[in-house]
Amino acid sequence: MDLSYDPELENFRLEIRKFIDEVLPAGIKHRQRTKVLNNADVAEQMEWMKILNRHGRAVPHWPVEHGGCGWTPQQLFVFNEELYAADAPEFDWGGTHMLGPVLYTFGSSYLQEKFLPMIRDGESIWAQGFSEPGSGSDLASLRTHAELRGDKYMVNGQKIWTSGAAHADWGFFLVRTDREVKPQRGISFLIIKMDTPGITVRQIPQINGEAHLCEVFLDNVEVPAEQLIGEPGMGWTYAKFLLEHERTTSSFIYWSKRELDRVKDIAQGEMIGGRNLADDPQFRARFARVQADLLALEWSVIRVLAHEETDFPEAAAASVLKIRGSELQQEITMLQVDALGAKSLRYFEPGLIAPPPSEMWPDYVAGRTNVALISRAATIYGGTKQVQKNILAKLAFGL
Amino acid sequence: MDFNKSDIQTMLLDSAERLLAENSGIEYWREQHRNALGFDEARWKQFAELGWLALAIPEDAGGLGGSIDDIALLNVELGKALATEPFISTAVGAAHILAHASNNDKSASMLEDIAAGSIRIALAHLEVGSDHTSSHDIATIATPDSDGFVLQGSKFMALDAPSADKLIVSAKIQGEQGVALFLLDNDAAGVTLESYPLIDGSRAADVAFDSVKLSSDALLAGCNAGETLLGEAIARMSVALMGQAVGSMEVSIAICKDYVHERKQFGTTIGSFQAIQHILADMFVASHQARSMLYHAIAHIASDPATRDGAISASRIVIGDAGKLVSRNGIQVHGGYGLTDEYAISHHFRRLMKLEKLFGDVDSHATRLGNLSLGG
Repeated sequence: MDLSYDPELENFRLEIRKFIDEVLPAGIKHRQRTKVLNNADVAEQMEWMKILNRHGRAVPHWPVEHGGCGWTPQQLFVFNEELYAADAPEFDWGGTHMLGPVLYTFGSSYLQEKFLPMIRDGESIWAQGFSEPGSGSDLASLRTHAELRGDKYMVNGQKIWTSGAAHADWGFFLVRTDREVKPQRGISFLIIKMDTPGITVRQIPQINGEAHLCEVFLDNVEVPAEQLIGEPGMGWTYAKFLLEHERTTSSFIYWSKRELDRVKDIAQGEMIGGRNLADDPQFRARFARVQADLLALEWSVIRVLAHEETDFPEAAAASVLKIRGSELQQEITMLQVDALGAKSLRYFEPGLIAPPPSEMWPDYVAGRTNVALISRAATIYGGTKQVQKNILAKLAFGL
Repeated sequence: MDFNKSDIQTMLLDSAERLLAENSGIEYWREQHRNALGFDEARWKQFAELGWLALAIPEDAGGLGGSIDDIALLNVELGKALATEPFISTAVGAAHILAHASNNDKSASMLEDIAAGSIRIALAHLEVGSDHTSSHDIATIATPDSDGFVLQGSKFMALDAPSADKLIVSAKIQGEQGVALFLLDNDAAGVTLESYPLIDGSRAADVAFDSVKLSSDALLAGCNAGETLLGEAIARMSVALMGQAVGSMEVSIAICKDYVHERKQFGTTIGSFQAIQHILADMFVASHQARSMLYHAIAHIASDPATRDGAISASRIVIGDAGKLVSRNGIQVHGGYGLTDEYAISHHFRRLMKLEKLFGDVDSHATRLGNLSLGG
C-alpha cells in the first residue's frame, strides 16, 4: 500500500494548469464563473471543444486511436479537476462521455468514422433520449417503438427529461424494436438526427427559470437503419455499459470541489452579526463537515479509479459514488444558499451574462440559487437515490 | 497511489486473522471484561511474539519500522475482533514518543521492553475541561527544583493507565512556553490512580499528581519538542483509533447482513423488505466513506502539523458520523436483540461510541477543521 501523492502526478497537474491558463479565453472563463445558468452555453462549449481539440485534448479519456491521450485514470482525474477549478466550460457529456465510449466499443466502423470526429471536434451537441413519461426508474418498460421497414426504422413515441434537446444536433435514443421478448431484450440503441421530420421538441419550464430539460415527441420519424448501434436488442446492455463505463463521473467530484470553493468566497464576503460569516463558529463547523464529506467522496473516487481490491463488486462502489455525489451536490449548493441568507431569494433571469455586480450584490450572488434549485435533480436522474440503494442491497448484501 | 497490500501487510493480516478469530465473540469478551486487567495477559505476549508490539518502533531502535498504513491495517483487525488490549497507548503512542524523545537514555531499552511485551506505557494527557483535540491546552505543571521537577495536577481518562507500568505525562514547565513530556512510574510517590472500566470493557484512570518528585531524566522532551512529539503521537493514535472504528463498522455490517438473511417476520426474511435493504445500503455507504477517510488520514500523517491535523479532523468527522450511523442502525435491524449483551452488535455499538469520543468527538473536530479551513 502506498497512499502518498505521486510527485509526477503533481508535475502533470502543473503542466495542465499552465496549459488551461494559456488556452482558455478570459471572456469564456469570466462568463462561466458568473453566468446565471446551470449548464454551459452551447456556443462557448463548442468553441472550447475546438480549442481543446486543436491541442489533442478534447477527449483524453478515449482510446489513443480515436484521439485520446493515453493518460492514466489518475491523470484524467487531475485534468478534469483543473478544468473545473479554472472555470472552463463543461464537456457536452452526452457526446464525449456517454455516446463516445458506446460508439468506439460497439459501433460499426461506418458509425465510428461518421460520429466520433464530430463529437471530438466540437461539431455537434448531443441529446440523450432514455426516460419516458411512463418509464423513469423502471426504464426497461419504455415504449417508444422503432419498426424496421426496408433500410429505415420508423420511430414513434415520446421521451422526456431530454437535456438540451432544443439545441442538440443529434440524439441517442433507447427504442423498442421487439415487443415479443423480455422487456430488456427488446431494446435497441439508435442515433437520430434531431431535425428529422416528425420530431417535435418542447422545452419544459423548470423550477429555476431555465428550460433545459425537454420533451421529445417522435411521430413517424424515419431513421436510416445503419444508425442502429451494434446489434438490435442489445440497447439495454449498451446503456448499462455506458453507465458503468463512467463509474466515477456520477460523483460530480470536480464540480463539487469547485462549488465548495465558492462557499468560501461567499463566507468571506458576507457579514453576520458584525463579522464575516467565515468567522462564525457555527458556520465554520458546518463548512468543515461538508468539506470532510467531500474529501471522503474524493478518496472513494480515487479507490475506484485505482480498482482497489475489495470483497464487494466494484459496481457497488459506483452506487456509493452516485449516492454521495448527488447528496453532496445538494448539500454544497444549499450551503451556498444558506451562506447568502436572504440574498439567495432574489430572482436572476437565467442567461450567460449576469447583471453587473454592486456593493450589495457581489458577483458571487447571481446564479447560486439557480443552480441550487435544479440540483434537486441530482438524486433523481441517472437512477434515483432509492434505486441506487436497491442496487447496493443486491450487490453488497445479496438481498 | 497503490491500494494493494504489501507482503508484510498480508502477513500481518493473516496472523491477525488466526490469533484474533480463535479468541473472539461474546464469551471471550465477557471473560476479559471480568478480568482485572480487562484483557488477557497471555494474548498480549502473543502480540509481542507476532511482532505487533514492535511494528511502530523504528528499525534503528530495534523495531520492525512498520509504516502508518501497517499500523492502521492491523488496527482494523483489532477493531473487527473488539480487542481490549492496550495496543494503541503502548505500541502506537508511547512507542512513537519514546522512539523520538530527545532527552532520555532509557528510551532504547524501554522500546525493547515494549516490543517484548514486558512493559506497558500509557499516555496521561487529557484534562477535564481541556480541548481534547489539542496537544497544548493543559494545566498540569512541572516546577523545576534542585533535583529535577515537582509535578502537580490531574489527568482525565488516561486510556489503559490501570494496566500500565509507566505513564507519559504532558505538563507545562513553570516559566516556559509549550508542553513537555515526562515519564514516570505508575506507582511513584504522590501519583494516585482512580481506575474504572469503560463501556467497551477496556480500562482507564483519572490520575492525580500531588507534589510528585521527578528526577531531571524523567523529562522525555522539553517544551517545544514535547508539544511537537505529542501532536505526532496523538495523530498516529488517531489513525489507529480510526482503523479500529473501520474494522468494527465493517464487521457490524457483515453481522447485520447475516441477521437479515436469517430473521423471519411476516413469513419471510426481513432482508426482503425494502425498508431494511435501504438501512443496510446506508450503512454500506457510510462505512465505505469511513475507509476512504482512513486512507486520507494515512496519506497526510507526515504533512506539516496544520495540514496533518486538518486531515485527521476531517477523517475523525466522517468516521465518527459513520460509526454512529452504522452502530445505531445495527441495533435497529436487530430489534430488541440488538440491545442485549448476547448479541455482538451491542458490543460493536459500545466500541464505536468510545472510539468517536476519544481525543475529541465529531463536534470538536468540526470546530478544529472549520478554524483551520476558514480561520485567518
